[in-house]
Parts: sequence; C-alpha cells; structure tokens
Amino acid sequence: MKKVLIIVSTFLLIGCVSDDDILSPIDNNIVDVPESLVIDDLKGIKVESTIVTDEVKMNIKLPYTGVYRVKIRDISKELISQEKLEANEGDNILKVYVSSLKNNGYTLELTDDNHDIIGITSIVVNN
Amino acid sequence: MKKILTLLVSVLCTISVYGQSSLGYSRVNTVTKVGDTLVVKYQYSKGTDSNGNAMPDATLYQFDIQYNNKLLELLENQWIPQSTSAQKAVNTWNGYKFTIDSEKDQTDFDGQYLSWLSGNSSYETNSDWSVQRVTYQDVNSLESGDEFMKIRYKIKDKANTNYSDYTNIINANWANYKESDGTQIDVDGTSTLSLSNIQGGDAGNVSLSVSSNIITNNIGDGSDFSYTIYTKGDTQTPLASGNFDAAGDATITGLENDVEYDAYISIDSSKEYLDNVVTVSDLALVFAEAIGAGDGPNGISTTFDYYLQSILANVVGTSIPNGGDINFQDSYEILAYLQGVTTNSTTYISQTGQALNISGIKTTFGDEVNGIATVSPTFKPTDLNKSFNFAHTLAGDVNFSHGFEPTSENADIPTSAQSNTTQRSMMARGAKLNPETANLDLTSELKDGLVEFTIGSEVEEMIGAQFNIIYDRTRLVLDDVIFDTGNTMTNFSNHIEESGKINIGSFDQNFEATVKTGTPYKLIFTPTVELQNTSGLITFKVNEGVKADGTQIKFIMN
Repeated sequence: MKKVLIIVSTFLLIGCVSDDDILSPIDNNIVDVPESLVIDDLKGIKVESTIVTDEVKMNIKLPYTGVYRVKIRDISKELISQEKLEANEGDNILKVYVSSLKNNGYTLELTDDNHDIIGITSIVVNN
Repeated sequence: MKKILTLLVSVLCTISVYGQSSLGYSRVNTVTKVGDTLVVKYQYSKGTDSNGNAMPDATLYQFDIQYNNKLLELLENQWIPQSTSAQKAVNTWNGYKFTIDSEKDQTDFDGQYLSWLSGNSSYETNSDWSVQRVTYQDVNSLESGDEFMKIRYKIKDKANTNYSDYTNIINANWANYKESDGTQIDVDGTSTLSLSNIQGGDAGNVSLSVSSNIITNNIGDGSDFSYTIYTKGDTQTPLASGNFDAAGDATITGLENDVEYDAYISIDSSKEYLDNVVTVSDLALVFAEAIGAGDGPNGISTTFDYYLQSILANVVGTSIPNGGDINFQDSYEILAYLQGVTTNSTTYISQTGQALNISGIKTTFGDEVNGIATVSPTFKPTDLNKSFNFAHTLAGDVNFSHGFEPTSENADIPTSAQSNTTQRSMMARGAKLNPETANLDLTSELKDGLVEFTIGSEVEEMIGAQFNIIYDRTRLVLDDVIFDTGNTMTNFSNHIEESGKINIGSFDQNFEATVKTGTPYKLIFTPTVELQNTSGLITFKVNEGVKADGTQIKFIMN
C-alpha cells in the first residue's frame, strides 16, 4: 500500500508541472541587460550612450551562437577598426573602447563572419 | 531774365563767320599707375580765316572744364601767363556734370556756351564730377599757343568706383572767347581726355585656392593650409597671411593691381596624418629610381613620371638643382625612417612636426626648366584676373598621396627618357599614380587572455606593404610582432610607444619577392585591464601595398 501511495503521489506531482516547463530549453546565456541596452528585436546592436568618452557599453543581440564581427567605420564608411569575436545567442554585453579614436562621428556595424550586416548604430567620440 | 535775353540777342548779333580758334588740353607728362600726378595743360590757339589771315585777338578767355573726381584728385591750378595786368579767376563746383546741347557738336565750344546761356544745355547734379570755370581777361591778347594754365591731378584708384578704366576723365564743356568789343569768337577744340594702361590700385578681393590630395581625398581639409604673401623676391617681410577655408579657398585684401607677389602655402605641421605622407609606396619609387633601369634613348633613364618627383625623392644629400641625384642613400633614409631608425643625416622627409612644403601656381606646377622641376610662387592681380590657383605637395611624398599630382604638360617626363619597365606616360597627367585596390582582412581578437591583431592577405604581386596602426596604450601593451611574409622580404616595424603607434610592413629591395599571402603580419598585445572584447582598441589608417612597377595598392576592407 505504501508503494502504491508513493507512485500515486509521484503522478500527482508530475501532473502539477506545466507542459511548457518540461519542453522549454535551458537558457545558458542569462544576461542582466540594463534597460538602456535592451533590444526588442531578435537581433541587433545598441550602445548605452551615443556620445562616448573613453568607453561605452554595448549590447549585441545575436540569433545564434557563433563568430561575429564588430566594425567601426569613419564618415566615408572606411573601415578603421574591426573585432572578431565568438558570442552567444541572445544578448551579449560588451564594450567599445574609443580612446585611440579621434573625436568624430563613427558607425558601429555588427556583421556575421561573412560580413552580412546584422545591425548598425552610430557613436560620437568626445574624448 | 531780361538781362539774359538782352545778352543773348547781343551775343547772337555779334557772331560772325570766322575760322575757329580753339581750346586745347592735353597731358604734359606720362602717367602709368595709380598715385601718379597727371599734369594737363590748357592752351589757347588762335584761328585763321579762309584767307589764312589771323583771327581777331581776344581779350576775354573763359571756359568750363570738368573732371571725374572719382578717378582724379585736383592738386593744383597753375597759371602760366605772366601778364601783370591780367585778371584771373578759377571757380570750382563739386557734384555737377555738364549736359551738352545735343543739337550741337560737343566741340562747338562757343555754341555750347550760347546754349548754356539760353538754357539748352545745363549742369546737372552728379557726385562723380567737378566743374572748374577758368576766366582770364587782359588788355593784352594771348599769343597763339600760349598756355592758360597747367592743372595737376592725382590719379585715384578706380577700385570701389563705378568705373572700370580711365577713359573720358576730363572734358571741356564750353568756351567763351571775346574780342575787346565783345564780339564772340568761334572756338572748338579737344572733346575729351582719357588715360589708358593705368596700373596699380587696390586689387580688391583677390582669391587664392590650394589644391592637394589632402583635400581631394578628405585626409584633411583646406583649413589645414595657410598662406603667406610677400612682394616678389622678398621672403622677409610678409604683406599678408592667413588660413584657407575648409574648401581650400582664401580671399585676400590689401594687394595692389599690377604688382607681382609671391605666395607660399604651408600646411599645419602638427597634423597627425603627416606621419602617413611617406610610406612604402614612396620607398618603392625611390628604390626603383636609385636602381635605375638602363640607358634610355637619350642616355638618361628614369623611372619617374614627373620631373618634380626628383625633388621630392631627394630626401638627403645634395639638392637636385645643385647637381644632386636620386641614389640609394635616399632610399635607405626612407627605409630607415619607416623602420623608426634615427640616422645622422639631415633628411627632407615630411612627417608630423616637420612639414616640408612645396607650393606654386597650379598650372605650371612642376614644369621642367633646363631639366629641373620648377614651381612658381608668383602671381599678379590685374583688373582682369584676381583669382589664382596654387598647388601644394610635401618633400618625400614621391607618389603625391598627400600632394598635388602635376597636370601641366611640361611637368611630364617624356616616354623617351623613361625606363621601359615603368612607363606610365600614356596615362593621363595628374592620374599616373592612382592606386589600384585589393581586399584585405584586419581584425583584432581576444585569445587566451591576449589581444591578437592579424592582417590576413590574399593579395599577390606585392613587393611591399605597410600598415600604420594605432592602439589603446591605456589598455594594451605591445608584446610581439610576428612576420610571416616570406624569406627574402625586408620587414620593418616602427613602434612609437609614447603615442601608441606602430607602423609595420615589408619591402623587397630587389623588386622580385612578393609578400606571402595568408597572415603575413600579427601583433600580440597584453591587456593591462580586464577585457571582455576588443572593439576599438586597435585602429588602422594607412594600409597600402606596392607593386614592382611602383603602382600603389590601396587596400579595401569589407
């Protein structure tokens, strides 16, 4: 009888768990995203502040884990800096360092490793 | 009114048919420029009748003249007759101009006088003109050819007036010669006096412009340039100086027309991009010239396209005009400069803090004279030309990356004097040194706690390459530079730690080996702060390669 009760109780407990809880994947990239860096779309790039001194936080939100590039272009769209990085699906809070850039306006470009653009934003360096 | 009518009737009744006496006026001296004193003599000439007999003598000589007071300043009236019994008067009214009786000739001076009396000609207000009335009366008549007076005028600048020249600046309006009994004498004479070829005077706004690839290619802008103007031949006392605007234009005032000036254009030597003026592309051109390529048809061979390149490439030693030549010393000095090696030589390599300016009139920039390139600083504002275009380049900039590539036909080295291997003479002047383009991949990456900067290249046929890189020295320390360019390349790296710069590159002095494809260059940095990524830590501006014929390869990065 004791065994029967244990089995019944187990079924009852399982019955209290929703289907969603059972089917959802485990999110390994749990990132605390500041409100200023929240990206509503599924992918993109966003900086904490457009005017930048020394450094600024940025969020690159990605559709899947992989190799990406963050490019900095000048006013004529000429590439002047490029980072290659492995990043996770979802939000990735990183930084852009600008102390070696002249005071000017720049474009930040997020692409995949094949240079296909995922998102673009702009910054103004004011060191 | 009654008196006037009486006088008019009286005068009309006394007119007889006589030969014309005259009022002549002409300049005594030669004047050529603004500020000169113009001397005009006013002269009596006695007429003759149809039989050749002299006309009656006059005892009253009166005439009105007018001069343009915008172009002439009255200095002095000088009576010439010495008669002690004569009565003389000169009256002046400013702001009037005579309107003739159009029914009569302008030079019918006595007729115009009568018309003025009768109201058929008149004086109207006109601020540009002044009227003088000369009256001479004596019991003794003047002899034919006697001068009434000389009037001295100073020639004024026509700038800021409504006049473009000095024509029609003095008129005689009318003349009233009378015999002792009051008989009117016919008078004609000179209608007008004009001056030509008057030079000088305020040139007003004179425009200068400067051309350079610094402006054309947005490396900087026109406001990086300044001008200094001297009287031609002088280099000690500047007459004017200032900056160009962003477009490379400047407006100068205070210069004079028809005066020759020398203008020298300079660039702000503090500009950081001046460190990119002399690169591996220039090095290749100088090495090629130093090596030479055998004798040309005239016994001389050169790899250069323009005579001016000989001046720009001669970075050390005796100057070209003094018999110098482009030799290996020049090329090794440039190589040493790229490597950051300090030599004991005084070099003419433009860089930040040392801008070695060469400027001149654009249309003749680099023109050959007796086998030597020349530049002319001289310009002369005139009435017809107040705009002057200058070109600028920098010593050491053999490929004109930061200068103006000559466009004058006379600046071009003829094909017959060029090496067969490097002839670009068929290409358009001003574009012979245009770069080709090629793709390249420059990336920074965080790996195992270090920051790696790699230059990936699939570009072939490069006998030289250069990359000027700036890194964030507040967060990174350069640990290593790894070359994988091939066994025979001469690699260089010039690390300027205090400003976070490193220039790296390669060059084959034999013009045979080429930079290996793959990852020919890698920089390793150690972070001094904790990093999650590397965006912005390493930037690059000058990225160029060079082919064996000296053609620059401009790298394009996706």
